[in-house]
Amino acid sequence: MQSIKKNLFEFFGLSESYDLDIEKLSERYHELQKDFHPDKNFSETEAEKMRSVQLSSFANEAYETLRSPLKRAAYILTIRGYDAELVDQSDLGMDLLIEQMRLRETLEDLPKDESAFPDLEKLKKEVKEKLRAKQSNFASDALEENFVNAKKTFHELQFLYKLMHEIEENEELRLDY
Amino acid sequence: MALLKILEPGKRQSAINTKPAVGIDLGTTNSLISSGYRGNIEVLADASGQFLLPSVVRYGKGVQPIVGEMAKEAAISDPQNTVSSIKRLLGRGKSEVEKMPQFEQYTFDASRDEGTPAIITEAGVKDPIQVSADILSELLSRAHDYIGEDIEGAVITVPAYFNDAQRQQTKEAANLIGLPVFRLLNEPTAAAVAYGLDNKEEGNVIVYDLGGGTFDVSLLCLKKGVFEVLATGGDTALGGDDFDYILSDWIAKQVYSDENPTLEERGRLIAYANSVKHHLSLHESADLEFNNWRGSLNRKEFLEMCEPLIKKTINTCRRVLRDASLSVEQIDNIVMVGGSTRMPIVRQAVESYFGRAPLAAIDPDKVVAMGAGIQAEVLAGNKSDNDFLLLDVNPLSLGIETMGELVEKIIPRNTTIPVAKAQEFTTFKDGQTSMIIHVVQGERELVSDCRSLARFELGGIPKMVAGAAKIRVTFQVDADGLLSVVAQELSTLKMSEIQVKPSFGLDAKAIEEMLRSSHQNAELDMGLRAMKEAQIEARQLIDAINSAREIDGDLLDEVGHNHLDNLVHELSENISSGTIEEIREATERLNRVSSDFAASRMDLHIGHALKGEAIDNIDR
Repeated sequence: MQSIKKNLFEFFGLSESYDLDIEKLSERYHELQKDFHPDKNFSETEAEKMRSVQLSSFANEAYETLRSPLKRAAYILTIRGYDAELVDQSDLGMDLLIEQMRLRETLEDLPKDESAFPDLEKLKKEVKEKLRAKQSNFASDALEENFVNAKKTFHELQFLYKLMHEIEENEELRLDY
Repeated sequence: MALLKILEPGKRQSAINTKPAVGIDLGTTNSLISSGYRGNIEVLADASGQFLLPSVVRYGKGVQPIVGEMAKEAAISDPQNTVSSIKRLLGRGKSEVEKMPQFEQYTFDASRDEGTPAIITEAGVKDPIQVSADILSELLSRAHDYIGEDIEGAVITVPAYFNDAQRQQTKEAANLIGLPVFRLLNEPTAAAVAYGLDNKEEGNVIVYDLGGGTFDVSLLCLKKGVFEVLATGGDTALGGDDFDYILSDWIAKQVYSDENPTLEERGRLIAYANSVKHHLSLHESADLEFNNWRGSLNRKEFLEMCEPLIKKTINTCRRVLRDASLSVEQIDNIVMVGGSTRMPIVRQAVESYFGRAPLAAIDPDKVVAMGAGIQAEVLAGNKSDNDFLLLDVNPLSLGIETMGELVEKIIPRNTTIPVAKAQEFTTFKDGQTSMIIHVVQGERELVSDCRSLARFELGGIPKMVAGAAKIRVTFQVDADGLLSVVAQELSTLKMSEIQVKPSFGLDAKAIEEMLRSSHQNAELDMGLRAMKEAQIEARQLIDAINSAREIDGDLLDEVGHNHLDNLVHELSENISSGTIEEIREATERLNRVSSDFAASRMDLHIGHALKGEAIDNIDR
């Protein structure tokens, strides 16, 4: 059995890159789980069973981290010695804040029933496009090893994801629950 | 030890060499059994050609238990001794079971302990394991007739949300009649297997299961023999019966203009509505006749009546997709399960939402049993080519109670298991030496709205100022869905842990209730939570300042004391009657003014600490 390595990219046998082939990641993840998963280690000793649970849990957590574009960005910053949780004032530009406010206001002004679904979809699409653009910025920042820039881009990504989350919560509230 | 059989390379096993294996769908309302013994997977019928065995058992005095249709008929004349829906009792506690309205006609044995409720019948005391065993035994007799020799083993399906206790008891029922269980298989997975989707390279599969009284949606992702459950959702109080009720209400309105139907007529109306529903599944319209009233109904009108029900199921699909961050275009297959999916209006709604026709080639009543039969063949070694792995998720969020009865989620719902996650917490008061870890399950923000799973204490925390101790709480959920929690104080590495066995765990209804109330209350909770957090923060600050002044008050002059007094007073008033902004502003003011004091304290204490004195002793 493979041991738990510190670097998650290595754990999946992939090279470190923000522009990750998710298909490949999930393929590797499944290959690992076919070895690690407790269902595949039926008749082992207690110690081996324990190890199987640990490895399988680790693989789940590692997969979740690398699969999520936001968590992956934070992870890359962390292994490069940057504290992703620490936000510096200079990390956030004025234009970013103004745009955020505009998007939030659009969201708040929507009708509070199902008639808002088409507009929510539109808003989602807009935010998704912005996310894609920022993600490719992060990828090139990381590729150029410009992690100061990458960190700024990461905080912009954080903002956009939070907004996306709010849009989805808004959608949820309008669902018939 | 049994010798292993080795096949000649490249030679397929013939039916004669196969080990007899069966697949069993042990359902709440009906059960089925299938076998691949003669080559193809077949669902086995009884002597009169019926595939569905009603999951009802009648226990008469001095006679063998009667299972199935005959027992079902006796449910009205002999309710105390006729047990139905036993699946809902598996893994439940006695006190919980006695409160369930659909079991009120039974007398539960008072001498049993909490973990093993049982019903008193004329044929003796029967627990859920025995009743399930009797149903299994009846199914197995069909297999014996068909196969003619002993059964080597079975795959039995269970709902994806079944907890460990419920799974365990399902296995015990099989053990009771000497039936080896190859594996318990999740129902949605079985349905996907029945359509051969496990042989596909990859794809996302929605399993839409609308039964008589329950509705479940599962989103499975398949890739090279690994089934990953991405998300699940459902409604345990929505099913085909609701369509009957709506239709019968409509007919009643046409038939009785002023007076209400009698109870007996009401029963007839529902049965009539059910037959009209079936007719409309095959025909565009139906001519109606009830008592002296005549009328007609077409599919479109029926759809309009049932629109709210159908919309509810589609919204559940929408949510499941959302939980998995997938869009409808990314769904490759939709599998229909449950008799109610025969209704064309249901199929059309599903088709129009997903933009593709659902798979419907296999009888939706049989599809789960078929999948179980296929997997039984695989595990019996009759079919060695495909063995898949199921990566399951936890259906509800797990967390712990923090200050102000708030829940901090540690493992969110729909996280793939097994999983381990840790979070650090700290003490609330100066010199606090122990901490209660209260483990809860649910989606709501407040502890009182979630289900309490366990409570334990971590003691021996060294005395420190509030917020200085670091306690790491680790949640671990194993592949069977069992949770264990470990709390550890990081400076002394002192540990305390607990295994949470959900012996009377949540059933689907409880899960869904908790999810539903979470959505309704999401907005309210967020506001409430922010308010509580602001209040807690404010109180903590006041506590901290007060205790700091008791110890190091001489660091401040009179002006300093007065200034703090005023601000503390102002903040206390705001905690009890201010708005959230007022509390935050007052907290901030007090924080600013007290920060110099805090800084000089820090200098003093660092000095003491360097001299080797514990902070504890400073005030002595």
